[in-house]
Amino acid sequence: MAKSLKKTSLMRMFIYKSQKDALLFAIDVSKTMQKAPPASDDKKADTDSGMTAALKCAYQVMQQRIISNPKDMMGILLFNTEKSKSNDEDEERGSPGYPHCYVYVPLDVPAADDVKKLKSLVEDGEDSEEVLIPSKEPATIKDVLFCANQIMATKAPNFGSRRLFIITDGDNPHLDDKKMNEAAAVRAKDLYDLGVFITLFPVGHKDSSFDLGKFWNDIIFKDPLAELTDPENVLESKSGNDGLSLLKSLIKNIDSKKTPKRAYFSSMPFEIGAGLTISVKGYNLFQKQAPARSCYVWLDDEKAQIAVGETARTEKDSTRDVEKGELKKAYKFGGEYVYFSPEEQTEVKKFGEKTIRIIGFKDRSLLKFWMAIKKSIFIYPSEEGYVGSTRVFSALWQKLVKSKKVGIAWHIARKNANPQLVAIIPSRSQSDEKSGTPYLPAGLWLYPIPFADDVRAGPELQIVRTTNELTDKMNKITGQLQMPRGLYPNPALQWHYKILQALALEEEVPDKPDDATVPKNKAISKRAGGYLQEWADVANEALVKHQEQKAIKRELDAEDDEPRPKKRTKTATASKKTDEDGSSAMTDAALKKLVNSGDVTKMKVTELKDALAARSLDTKGRKADLVERLEQWAEENM
Amino acid sequence: MADKEATVYIVDLGSSMADCHNGRIEPDMNWSMQYVWDRISTTVAANRKTWNIGVVGLKTDGTDNPMAEEDGYSNISVLRELGPMGMAGLRTLQEKIQPSSTDVGDCLSAIVIAMEMIQTFTKKLKYNRRIFLITNGESHIDDDEEAVSEIATRIKELGIELTVLGVDFDDSEFGFKEEDKTEQKATNEGLLKQLTDACDGQFGTIAEAIAELSFPRLKPVKPYKTYEGPLTLGDPQQGAMSIDVERYFKTHKATIPPASNVVLQQNHAKRSGDGNGLEEIQSSGGNFAAVSNERTYTVNDPTKPKGKREVLYEELAKGYEYGRTAVHISDSEHNITKIETTKGFAIVGFIPQENFEPFVNMGDSCMIVPQKFNDEAAIKLSSFIHSLHELESYAIARLVMKDGKEPLLVILAPHIDLEFECLYDVPLPFAEDVRSYRFPPLDKVVTLTGKVLNEHRQLPSHDLLETMSEYVDAMDISTYEVDDNGERTQEYASVDDLYCPTLHRINQAVRHRAVYPDQPVPPIPPILVKYAKPDEKLEEAAKTRLDDLIETAEVKKVPPKATGKRQRDKVMPRSGLDIDALLKQPEHKRAKIDPNNAIPEFRQIFNMSDDEDVVKDAAKQMGQIIRDLISDSMGDLNYERAIEDLGVLREGMVDFEFAALFNTFLLDLKKKILSGELGGDRRELWWMLKGKGLGLIDNVAVESSNVTPEEAAEFYKK
Repeated sequence: MAKSLKKTSLMRMFIYKSQKDALLFAIDVSKTMQKAPPASDDKKADTDSGMTAALKCAYQVMQQRIISNPKDMMGILLFNTEKSKSNDEDEERGSPGYPHCYVYVPLDVPAADDVKKLKSLVEDGEDSEEVLIPSKEPATIKDVLFCANQIMATKAPNFGSRRLFIITDGDNPHLDDKKMNEAAAVRAKDLYDLGVFITLFPVGHKDSSFDLGKFWNDIIFKDPLAELTDPENVLESKSGNDGLSLLKSLIKNIDSKKTPKRAYFSSMPFEIGAGLTISVKGYNLFQKQAPARSCYVWLDDEKAQIAVGETARTEKDSTRDVEKGELKKAYKFGGEYVYFSPEEQTEVKKFGEKTIRIIGFKDRSLLKFWMAIKKSIFIYPSEEGYVGSTRVFSALWQKLVKSKKVGIAWHIARKNANPQLVAIIPSRSQSDEKSGTPYLPAGLWLYPIPFADDVRAGPELQIVRTTNELTDKMNKITGQLQMPRGLYPNPALQWHYKILQALALEEEVPDKPDDATVPKNKAISKRAGGYLQEWADVANEALVKHQEQKAIKRELDAEDDEPRPKKRTKTATASKKTDEDGSSAMTDAALKKLVNSGDVTKMKVTELKDALAARSLDTKGRKADLVERLEQWAEENM
Repeated sequence: MADKEATVYIVDLGSSMADCHNGRIEPDMNWSMQYVWDRISTTVAANRKTWNIGVVGLKTDGTDNPMAEEDGYSNISVLRELGPMGMAGLRTLQEKIQPSSTDVGDCLSAIVIAMEMIQTFTKKLKYNRRIFLITNGESHIDDDEEAVSEIATRIKELGIELTVLGVDFDDSEFGFKEEDKTEQKATNEGLLKQLTDACDGQFGTIAEAIAELSFPRLKPVKPYKTYEGPLTLGDPQQGAMSIDVERYFKTHKATIPPASNVVLQQNHAKRSGDGNGLEEIQSSGGNFAAVSNERTYTVNDPTKPKGKREVLYEELAKGYEYGRTAVHISDSEHNITKIETTKGFAIVGFIPQENFEPFVNMGDSCMIVPQKFNDEAAIKLSSFIHSLHELESYAIARLVMKDGKEPLLVILAPHIDLEFECLYDVPLPFAEDVRSYRFPPLDKVVTLTGKVLNEHRQLPSHDLLETMSEYVDAMDISTYEVDDNGERTQEYASVDDLYCPTLHRINQAVRHRAVYPDQPVPPIPPILVKYAKPDEKLEEAAKTRLDDLIETAEVKKVPPKATGKRQRDKVMPRSGLDIDALLKQPEHKRAKIDPNNAIPEFRQIFNMSDDEDVVKDAAKQMGQIIRDLISDSMGDLNYERAIEDLGVLREGMVDFEFAALFNTFLLDLKKKILSGELGGDRRELWWMLKGKGLGLIDNVAVESSNVTPEEAAEFYKK
């Protein structure tokens, strides 16, 4: 008992941190960073200097974060600038500031003006603040780091995640000055102790590679949140790396680090068998991004302002104000409420502690395509609860990949969360050619399996089977139109923010969205147009044959004494309006029979409407209403 | 959807029903009413106006029925006419269900009365008509076989489904036989069996019905059409493929009944007087009022106290947030940010089935079938389905469900059965929906210098791989479920057998509470937790494999002490430079904590020093820094900073087990904050501290603390 109490009080210690992220770019604008790449006739050749590429990256990240992390902060600090400008707070305090460090975009949730300013700097080279003039003597890294330290401490206090991205080509900024290097190392440790994590994005030049050993290895610490087995590898961006331009290579490197890794759950016990538990962390690698909900804006002042809403609760009938303490939870039942005390509520929902508990393994083929209900959670081992978790997890992962099996487990994600049955599915390594998802890491996935309650019955259906010839024709089309692996941007989301950006920046509103999901009809028709025509022809032949057969069958059926009413009504409303008898409105006698047998409810809505219309009755309403109206009529008139 | 219902329950209230039989400690009536109450409360819960319930009491002391005048209809009372039923009706009925002091009453007569009730109520309209008879069969039935067959014919004519459930009736299928049965009961059982056989009704023992109660009932849902229109490939105006299809939900999360916010109605609360009355009101129910939410809006206005001003909802315009900028969208342009789309379902291309991983799906699945009565669509769609099947491909399609709706990408898979075929689809993620977190590989370890290791303590040994493989194979449940012949050939824990535990648990508890308001919450039905653990027999069979695996894996639990306590692992940069040593050198040494670099310097002192006095001094400095931050704060400007510093200080004090020092400081800080000593009204900060859980260190967190958890909780109260 005491132990579990201990756990909760330890957990509480971390609550004071808010779940927000602050990202500060520190971009080197020294002469070498500004050096344009050599001129080339090659269209694909690089045109960006290291600095332009870095600014373009920052601009892109800023735009993306407004969409993906609308509550998170970002800022840009330039260094090796001729001018100096520090944090507002520092200036107020009369602090001397930091020579050759320039706070270009103060750390905050970006505003339209920030985007605009950065955009004109990046796209039009408009440098009204003259920040891009490189200093004659370099800034010291200890100043850059302490400047970042102050920005983080004052602007983003208490943030759960604070990161400093340094983009520079200077692998030896103090030219081996030991004292300066040591001072910088001490400031780097300060940032580490403040909880700010430094990521370095070195920019390499054509003839020389960036040598981390000269200086930066003293500055970079391991991410305390990273996995034990993950060495903090620093990726150099360089023109020509993997055939990418400098900009692309930098974007690729930054992309892989731009989202702070947040666990969806941690210290989760993963019970592989009774007596064999390891610990894992869970990650939400899929998060549906939707346009932010609209908000209310106050317009009376010069600047539009967002109105913040608060909820006041009142008793429904008396409109009396309700205090929070008065609120009780109850379930609706038969038009009234059924109440449980808070303790009873907990008891009702109590299904045990949080866990992933394997109850067995199945062939992967038993997991049917349609058994989908919601997104999956990625899990990865962690040594924090059990030493040896990683190797056991790896062994299970390898076995599941090799034998094409999945685990089946009982899963409770949090205390008092609803239990779920999950399939545990391995994802292959990203380097594995068989991987269908090279954009996802290797690990295990908790895949929710629907409950019987979640499965819906489909409509009744009469199938008409294809012929072999027809399928062969379709096969030609299918074979022609194979597409590459990959993901598409969300057109609705992109358009929403594109318009919003244009409005916010007072730019011209574009008139046509880029929608990569629209099929390339021209290409389709070029590659498969002929086959499509052939297929349509064969389909028509097959259809004629099928209908002939059906007609014969119908005649045979008609000869039977007792025609099956179900069949007859169906043919009577075959979707095309070329019914033999011209009208599907049935006779009174037929109707009477249907009403008496109760089969009137088996009629289709269209049939009901026809029958009602033929008797000059109202045809509006839901099916139940139509049935009742018809029954009523039958009762009164027959 | 004409599912109107008319159900009459005939319940035996004879005096003998108050007795206990066959080893039960519950009177027969309460026992068998379990079933009736469960059914009735399920109907009440559905709250449907077209579901009607009537109740007839059999062997009542008085006689109250439309045929009371006639012979043989005595001691039968209509307790409730057919009609929709709510909680009030349920309570009224409960009061009436009491054992009588007679054992006279003819159950066949009661059935006739129930039939009359149904006929009068439903006329010739479409209804599901049902009669349930619950009796112990101990009373004389006045009819002969001829009458039985007459009644049966009439029941069939009226389309009534008759169910007879007897207390301790023999039922060979269920496997029950009462040995010391009275002759009267045996005769009656025969007669009732004859009746149900003759009218295609059901006949059973109540124990079976009660046993079935523990099986959750699935609520049937009407097929819901999510799209209706053409499925195209290429440009349909240039003779490309276009098939008329309908798309329905295949899976959709069943809603778990939510608890709503309610409040005790005040007039009732007043009348009840003292606080003890509360329980009575709650148990009798029906005195809660719903709570409605009203929104008020404020904007920043530095000229107003607290810097905020309330604004009227009517004065507000619509807009969106772009970063921290508010973008106003005028009414005439309200759709400007919405992408213009036209309804459609267009194939984008095809991928090999092996390239699809199930865990990329983003939600419910749907089924796609040809338009009804459209043979052309049916045959064309069939060729498409078979082609996907033959070429082992899936199709990717862009779906716009209605004009103006945002486009979705879905992946289509073929499904071919003996009597059925369709396409299934699941939604795919867009590029924006995927977070690119990096994780190290699981099958190798890459060192800092880029060296690839294949043997490492983080990697499984050959033996571990082997034992894991054997264990996984031993725990295979692909064909573990027993079939009708008692052999293990069926899939275990197949979707059909999985019931949503929370959904059925809440329904069970709510129904139970509605019927038995004074009883505690019932235990969880075992079927809901059947898959919470591996099957015992399976576990037993795989025991040795698991033991081998445990032995090879050598997993060790991290002792709980080590998780939060002082971890003095030396933190080093990549180069391994000893920063602590640097900090000890005179030029980097820090005499006093710099308020501008407080957290790093405080942490460094903590990590490097073993001298208690130094640590205590650092804590004192930190306390002063926190107080200064608060005093200097313009409004709430420095609050978050102060909270962060306080959090770090508290963490450190827990590690060093200096609870008393911290607690004294915090008590003083609380006093200063609330008395306004720190530069004015700082109560908001106090609320924030409370919300963040930055309270006293109790003796659970640090044993030497003299504050109990109760006292720590007390601290938060003013």
